[in-house]
Amino acid sequence: MSAKVKTLERKGSSLAEKIYFVEIFKGMATTFGHFWRNLLDNSNLYVRHYPEVEPEIPVRWRGRHRLTSHEDGTVKCVACFMCQTNCPAECISIEAGERLDDKAEKMPVKFNIDLLECIYCGYCVEACPLDAIRMDTGIYSVTDNNRESFVLGLEELLQTPGAFSEEEYKKGGA
Amino acid sequence: MAEMIKLFVNGNEVEVEAGKNLIDAIGAVGIEIPHLCYHPALGADGNCRMCLVGLEEGGPPLVPACKTPAAEGMKVLLDADHIKKIQHDVLEFQLINHPVDCPVCDQAGECSLQDYYMTYDGQKSRMTVPQVTKSKKMDFGCGVVHDQERCVLCGRCVRFCRQITRTGELGIVNRTDTARVAIFPGRPLDNRYAVNVVDLCPVGAMTSADFRFKQRVWFMKKERGVCHGCSRGCNITIDHNREKDQDDLIYRFRPLFNEQVNGYFICDEGRLSYRDENENRLTEARLSKTTISLDRAVTASLKEFKRAEGIVILISPDCSLEQMVSIKSLAEELGAPLSGFSDGYIKKGDGDDYLIQDDKAANRAGLTALNIDSSQSAFEEALAKAGLLINFNNDLSLFYDESSLKKLFKEKRVIGVTSRDTKLFQMANLVIPVASFTEYSGSIINCDNILQTFNRAITKNDAPLDMSEVAALLGGPLKTNGDRYDKLKKIVVSLNDFNPDTIPATGLKLT
Amino acid sequence: MSLLDILLVAIRVAFAAFVPLCFIAVCVWMERRGAGFFQDRAGPNRANIFGFRAAGLVQNLADGAKLFFKEDVISDHIQHKFYFVIAPLIVFFTAVVSFAVVPFADTLVLNGKSYIMQGIPIDIGILWFLALAGFGVYGIILAGWSSTNKYGLLGSLRSTAQVISYEIPMGLAIVSLLVVYGTVNLNGMAQFQGQLLFGFIPMWGIILQPVGFLIFVIAAFAETNRTPFDLAEGESEIVAGFHVEYSAMKFAIFFMGEYIAMFASSAIIVTLYFGGYQIPFLSTDTLITYAKPVAFLLMLGLPAGMYFFAGWIRKNNVSHYPRKNDPRVYEGNIYIKGFWGLVILLELILFAILLCKSGGAAAHIFVVLLQICTFLMKVTMMIFVYIWVRWTLPRFRYDQLQKIGWQVLLPAALLNIFITSAFVVALS
Repeated sequence: MSAKVKTLERKGSSLAEKIYFVEIFKGMATTFGHFWRNLLDNSNLYVRHYPEVEPEIPVRWRGRHRLTSHEDGTVKCVACFMCQTNCPAECISIEAGERLDDKAEKMPVKFNIDLLECIYCGYCVEACPLDAIRMDTGIYSVTDNNRESFVLGLEELLQTPGAFSEEEYKKGGA
Repeated sequence: MAEMIKLFVNGNEVEVEAGKNLIDAIGAVGIEIPHLCYHPALGADGNCRMCLVGLEEGGPPLVPACKTPAAEGMKVLLDADHIKKIQHDVLEFQLINHPVDCPVCDQAGECSLQDYYMTYDGQKSRMTVPQVTKSKKMDFGCGVVHDQERCVLCGRCVRFCRQITRTGELGIVNRTDTARVAIFPGRPLDNRYAVNVVDLCPVGAMTSADFRFKQRVWFMKKERGVCHGCSRGCNITIDHNREKDQDDLIYRFRPLFNEQVNGYFICDEGRLSYRDENENRLTEARLSKTTISLDRAVTASLKEFKRAEGIVILISPDCSLEQMVSIKSLAEELGAPLSGFSDGYIKKGDGDDYLIQDDKAANRAGLTALNIDSSQSAFEEALAKAGLLINFNNDLSLFYDESSLKKLFKEKRVIGVTSRDTKLFQMANLVIPVASFTEYSGSIINCDNILQTFNRAITKNDAPLDMSEVAALLGGPLKTNGDRYDKLKKIVVSLNDFNPDTIPATGLKLT
Repeated sequence: MSLLDILLVAIRVAFAAFVPLCFIAVCVWMERRGAGFFQDRAGPNRANIFGFRAAGLVQNLADGAKLFFKEDVISDHIQHKFYFVIAPLIVFFTAVVSFAVVPFADTLVLNGKSYIMQGIPIDIGILWFLALAGFGVYGIILAGWSSTNKYGLLGSLRSTAQVISYEIPMGLAIVSLLVVYGTVNLNGMAQFQGQLLFGFIPMWGIILQPVGFLIFVIAAFAETNRTPFDLAEGESEIVAGFHVEYSAMKFAIFFMGEYIAMFASSAIIVTLYFGGYQIPFLSTDTLITYAKPVAFLLMLGLPAGMYFFAGWIRKNNVSHYPRKNDPRVYEGNIYIKGFWGLVILLELILFAILLCKSGGAAAHIFVVLLQICTFLMKVTMMIFVYIWVRWTLPRFRYDQLQKIGWQVLLPAALLNIFITSAFVVALS
């Protein structure tokens, strides 16, 4: 995939352009054109009427996080701290513990993500060696009344379902 | 200074010390030869073949660097293609049955195998047959957890138990891909240095049950320190980290090489003594069970001084020389007898002929050097006459049981200046918190009369004061470290030629 | 003084004081909705009272209420709290008062007595405006300095240098205008512009002094700290400039002061260059003479205009997403009914004028009202130009700003004075 490059002509050298006024009036004509068109008919505005019309979330959208689990419901995360190490906002804090279900040796006993600190960069998802953390919940609106409720715990992260099927997610390039 | 010889590495001339093998000699000038089984404390074994290097002229074309002494004019090849291929191939062999579970392995980040893979191999596995599975998470005793799958069979742990502790609990059983490090059935590791095998293990096969899963090693900051567990004063690395919204906590002590003092190892008790630095700390001053500010505590102490009919000061043998001299001057200022009575610190018969000492006091030699009396009779006599005891962190409960302590403190006021919130100090009328040994800089003299300095490693969220600062607040005349050191020089003649910053990091043998 | 005198004084003072205040709401509304439309957005259109959004005007109420009830913070580091508090008031007050000399209608003659139609009946006119516009910047300087904040100080310094630089071309542009009009009285200027050039062109300032007009407008933009000359705020480099430490109502007063200044300077531009309250081709005397035909024409024109306006409301006051029983349609219908009611009321008033004696007091009052409407319409258009420029042009760099002020506007203004003087001398 290569970006489309459009080379623009460099302006500002001719006398008419140096005088400014001609160009200023041209620019004002352009903006007035927009104004007038929208004033006469406001149905073509480039706006989404949120919250009545909700945005369509693409698969690659980085929404709120979740922790994935094995088919039997046990957490996939092995508390390797890769996400915490990579996190540029230092919003993840993990406490590791002994795991006894033979899936691995180690598992998180605490896994907190502070959404107030998170910058939704997705580095944690990139860093995870086990696809245990994903940002595919499609949740884009995180609001509450107190700071404490923005710290997501292990349970909450595990219980949030993904918004997409496994095939869609894989196809999305993750 | 040892004799220097010249040899060539990759065609470049380097000057190295004579009488060492190639790994140590060339390693000393900063050129690394990869090795797994060789350890300077355990000698060369030559089983891992990672350190194979080429010799251009004379001798065989390939030699294990660990077994080859450096010689004048030697031409060592490290970056030739065939050497690289050997290193790569050896690593590929090592990794055939390795589980590559670095994400859950505590060694990740300080693992030789991991580092060498990144430097010398970097290839994907070519194996198509299933890997050999072995036992994991085996309890070897003494807080050592063994993972046979990660083991590279270098035998460092086995040699440690045979050569250093001479207990020989470990051995390598079977051959080829069934070979593994094991204990004898029913006979786990049982020696007081056992956890050193965790440090020795180049990979994550030996992990410490105590440290297991507590931290990833790359999060931790590493500072040099001196263990205060006994009068040996082993050098340690303090691994600590301040996690988000938490205090600066120590996660482990590891031995730090110091040839004069402890070599490469420390004992297990010393290793676990980091817990006392994190837990059960006195954080706030208390006046008869109510928490007060430090300022008020100092004022209250000064009031006590005025009211008391005779003061006696007791000092801990764990204090640094600077603290001792501060308290000594405070005692002189107050005209109070100063005692270093600490017979309870001596555990008869606990020491051995290697590192562990009978005397659990870190700086008893300092007490002697500063002419502080530490006899029981003098202390008890002075206490009987006095109305106020100022106890600078001396754990009297090691010597007296609770009832005799109560008898001792009857009708006496006690001021405790301490870092720990123990039962003894809960009996005191006034306690003032001070820094523990990882939180201040100082110097101590160990059992072999070696003076060692150490710097502050930990900064707690609300860092308590150094004991010498508290002594100054209570009216001691020595206000700055410079004053303390000047006074120290006056008392200890052998320190005259040294400034604090000219004392070598490895310690100074006092005469 | 008769009762009528007192009443008329009260009316004109109230007009000069309250119209700018009312226009704050109009300006903010135009600015925000206009910005939306310029950028293909909608602008604020959600705030409502019982579902009535008044095209977004309710948002102003909401903002005002918010600012009014916000905590008024004065940081501890501010040492001169008195200056800190008084600074926004200076900005606000000078802006309001500078409008007081602008005539909003021609002199009203009732019972043979003349009543001047401006807030403060003084003759110095334009000089008053110049003085107060210059004085307004003291508020900004004081605000920036007393904030004890480096951004605030930088913002106020920029503002100082800018005002000093642009007051000169502004003053010079006015000088050439004075040469043409021969008076400093703003009402005199407006009356002058009621004449016709060559018999068919309104003798407006913009026709007589096109270069002067451009210079004056540019300087006026700079004087009011509007884009492209709003370097005193410069969000991207100095956060918010002089008002960075201000919050709640103190900020609101700055904000309102800025819009009043914009209104006042629009009024001045209109008076100087766009004929003030004059309706083109219809001088005051003509209007008084032909009051009845004009009223009749208006009676015809109003319903026709309303018809198209109702169509526009019906078309645009709808939800642009699927919605059951769209409340906006209902809302729009009520607006249409309300406006029709207004139109009927106006028709009745106009009809009453038709019944009155021609050339009498009613005709005089009718003409004054007509001229006030004309004046406010012109001012609104000028405000729109301010907004239009703001959403078209990016901010100048500081060196560019100074360069334009000293190297372009100043020589152009001087040249303009020479040429104008030469013309005036040659023609007289």
